[in-house]
Amino acid sequence: MKIGVPALALALVVYPFVLNDPFYHDIGVALLLAAISASAWNIVGGYAGQVSVGHGMFFGIGAYVPLLVYQHGAWPPVVGVPIGIVLSVGLAVAIGYPTFRLRGHYFSMATIAVAELIRIYVGTVDYLGAAIGLQGPAVGRGWWDLTFRGELPYYYVFLGVLAILLYVTFEVQRSRFGSYLHSIRANERAAASLGVPVRQTKLKALMLSAAFTSVAGSLYSIKTGFIDPESGFGLLVSVQMLITAALGGAGTLFGPLIGALILVPLQAGTNTWFGGGGSGLTYVLYGGIIVLLARFEPGGLYEFWHRVSGKWRARHAA
Amino acid sequence: MLLEAKGVSKAFGSFFAVRNADLSVAEGEIIGLIGPNGAGKSTFFNCLAGDAVPTSGTVSFDGVDLTRATPDIHARAGIGRTFQVPATFEDMTVLENVEVGAYLRHPHRADARKKAIEVLEITELARFADQRARGLGTPGRKRLEIARVLALEPRLMLLDEALAGLTPSEIQRAVELLRRIHGMGITLVIVEHIMEVIMSLAARVIVFNQGHVIAQGKPEEVVKDEGVIQAYLGRNHGKRRGAR
Repeated sequence: MKIGVPALALALVVYPFVLNDPFYHDIGVALLLAAISASAWNIVGGYAGQVSVGHGMFFGIGAYVPLLVYQHGAWPPVVGVPIGIVLSVGLAVAIGYPTFRLRGHYFSMATIAVAELIRIYVGTVDYLGAAIGLQGPAVGRGWWDLTFRGELPYYYVFLGVLAILLYVTFEVQRSRFGSYLHSIRANERAAASLGVPVRQTKLKALMLSAAFTSVAGSLYSIKTGFIDPESGFGLLVSVQMLITAALGGAGTLFGPLIGALILVPLQAGTNTWFGGGGSGLTYVLYGGIIVLLARFEPGGLYEFWHRVSGKWRARHAA
Repeated sequence: MLLEAKGVSKAFGSFFAVRNADLSVAEGEIIGLIGPNGAGKSTFFNCLAGDAVPTSGTVSFDGVDLTRATPDIHARAGIGRTFQVPATFEDMTVLENVEVGAYLRHPHRADARKKAIEVLEITELARFADQRARGLGTPGRKRLEIARVLALEPRLMLLDEALAGLTPSEIQRAVELLRRIHGMGITLVIVEHIMEVIMSLAARVIVFNQGHVIAQGKPEEVVKDEGVIQAYLGRNHGKRRGAR
């Protein structure tokens, strides 16, 4: 792992130059966005073990607000990023405060319900673009509109955000907050008996997670210049975060990135090989991954690697 | 009094698991809580630790009412507890398990780690520090629970069958550990089935049966109590003894 992290970082930095083609740049940007979203989900879903199946709501808010401020106020979309964060964190408190009083799956159920309600509601409000959605600036009025011709600038902006998110997660992991999250995931009752303020800790994790998921949504809409209810708040958006993190290893620092490194090229592959006829394959792929993970490696690929490398080391040490 | 429970009852629907139980614990005492299976000991314990809210009655610690307080507030107040079935954090290392407790009084990582290492030395778990908790056997996990609670720097420890499932030699070591902990000025309330442990450790014993406190006093007196003998050995035991 000591060599692995700098090597991975270097590979991500030089990737657009090694595979210098718009198609690969596009995959690179999609990969980083998936890694950011899944890493943000991972803070509450992985580290705290509170599985959200509706994180699309935070992604959607983050995606809608920049285009809303552009369309209704002619402001640069980037102005909407902090507003999206504030709204997402507010929604996180509104959901987390009542549901985290309870143990079990109430939180998961609440997140699905709220995300779906928001998706349906947004699709009916004209001010929010209704079912058609919202558009950003087609041509940038200046650099502040962040409208670039190629994918390369987006790639490095996304890479920077991912680096910040991973650093924050790393610091969380080695702090009291991280230790408390881990203990809550392992055994909530025992954690509480050791002085862990369970409800507040979960709520803080959800707020942090919602903030970064909102940023991911903003990056998405600013880059694509378009958002509609399905691509912002859709169930698939939420499920993709969950699957990506779980595939790589939920509750681990690099698990979501590993998941994205596998899942995004795989999706691009199915889309390329099967064209429009393969659009439903994404669901089949997700379903298959859930079954395989549940059956063979609930800890994800990171845990698998940990186990295999541990055995290898033990065998060679003997 | 350090801990005072007055008229504590806990009902599940119409069934009373604990009915009108009293307990007063002075600082520095070791108290044994005994009774047959299903007597209500663990439910009473949960009421003392904040894991269950009493249906009626009050629980106070050092004069502060904790009747409806959550378990983390109990821990902050100075009450630590272990569980009947060890509730260690299986995926975390032994050191990380203890750190969770240590963070309560030592918010900074370096201080919490220092405290955790110190506790691992006291509980003789230092050599397992980097091992995941799931790799420990029952004795190790029971000891780890005690270590975690010790890291809270509690004034009172509630031990729920902390010695159950141990071999005689392991029990001996565990009793020595509890004596050391008591020597550090920590008050102990022990739920235990192993009478030898209660007899050797506790200065006072409280006997539960069917949700009631049926006897209390010195261990050697309590074991001779007719009601206690009947609770443990059956209603007819006393009559049979009298007929002989």
